[in-house]
Amino acid sequence: MKRIAVLVYPGTNSEEETLQLLRDCGGNAEIVHWSRSETLRDYDAYVLPGGFAYEDRIRVGAVAARDEMTAAVVEGTKKGKLAFGICNGAQILLEAGLAPGLGAERSPEAAFTHNAPARHFLCTLVHVRLAIEPSRCAITASLPKGAVLPAWAAHADGRLAARSDELAAIAAGGHVAFIYTNAHGTLDAVAPPNGSALGCAALTNGEGNVLAIMPHVERVHPRSAGAPLFSSFVRAVELA
Amino acid sequence: MTENRAIVAIRLKVPDNTAFTALVALRRSGVEVARVERAEMWFLDDAGEPETLAQRVRADESIFNPHLHEVEVRNGSLPRAGEVWIAEASASDAPMRVTGVRKAKRAVSWSLLDSNDAPASRALLECACKSLLCNAAIEEAAFS
Repeated sequence: MKRIAVLVYPGTNSEEETLQLLRDCGGNAEIVHWSRSETLRDYDAYVLPGGFAYEDRIRVGAVAARDEMTAAVVEGTKKGKLAFGICNGAQILLEAGLAPGLGAERSPEAAFTHNAPARHFLCTLVHVRLAIEPSRCAITASLPKGAVLPAWAAHADGRLAARSDELAAIAAGGHVAFIYTNAHGTLDAVAPPNGSALGCAALTNGEGNVLAIMPHVERVHPRSAGAPLFSSFVRAVELA
Repeated sequence: MTENRAIVAIRLKVPDNTAFTALVALRRSGVEVARVERAEMWFLDDAGEPETLAQRVRADESIFNPHLHEVEVRNGSLPRAGEVWIAEASASDAPMRVTGVRKAKRAVSWSLLDSNDAPASRALLECACKSLLCNAAIEEAAFS
């Protein structure tokens, strides 16, 4: 079986539930702490869980995006390996320039930054809808078209923001993988809950081997409710 | 009363872990810097007496903790040599609780010093911004 690394940076705090759901979905996953970053190149796929890596010092995800763990993820994704970031993991992927990954040079083109209009920490159940063709991103390829998933939004910095030209490129390039909706998958006045541009809850890159999603699908109860995305990821890892 | 645009820097008087993290991360990125200092910058529309501004800022416990912070009212409207101000590109003035201040805008000041304890060059500052300190997608950097 292919091996999935669940990365733990100093300050990551969601690795256990992420690991559990990956295993529940049949994934051969294990936790890799920052002190073992040199082993990451031996893994076939990477999951970056939620938390507060490096205490979100300087900016959310900024320091983690530039450490050795992420360097291994960058190197792996260039070879076609899958990277799946959740919440703080998603913020790190954006800071590392892996999503949306618009330019030739790897640099941040967008950010999941502070919520708006209130900058407060948000902790609420949300629903997200797959906004791309499932096959556009390898990690979503086994989901049904327009799949609606419950997820737990737990962040102070979940709003997609970028310059207007970058936002236009993100929209035109089909990089918005999930949008916030209501439980029926339709847009309403409460979505998105954090002011996210384009209603974006998740971004993918051009190649479709990186997915950065803000709300926690792994925290939903029953656990099976959030499982379809993890199952799709595990299947994609095995097929890769 | 006339409103003045005043600039106040609030910095930690205890060791600054974030500045130390920035120092380590910058060095790891190949930016040759010997010391990093950080301060929170507030750009205030102030209708109060300028000579009492520091005292009024110290009285606002939402931004100032006397056990942790020291405040400096800055002269001039630009960063100093070796200093860069990073602000959100979309930031707008927001209400503030400091007496006499109608609204304010926030930025973070990073001061970089080289191995001679001299202010970092503009080129080094720009390199540090690109490497770590500024996400150009959402932030703007102001130099002296």
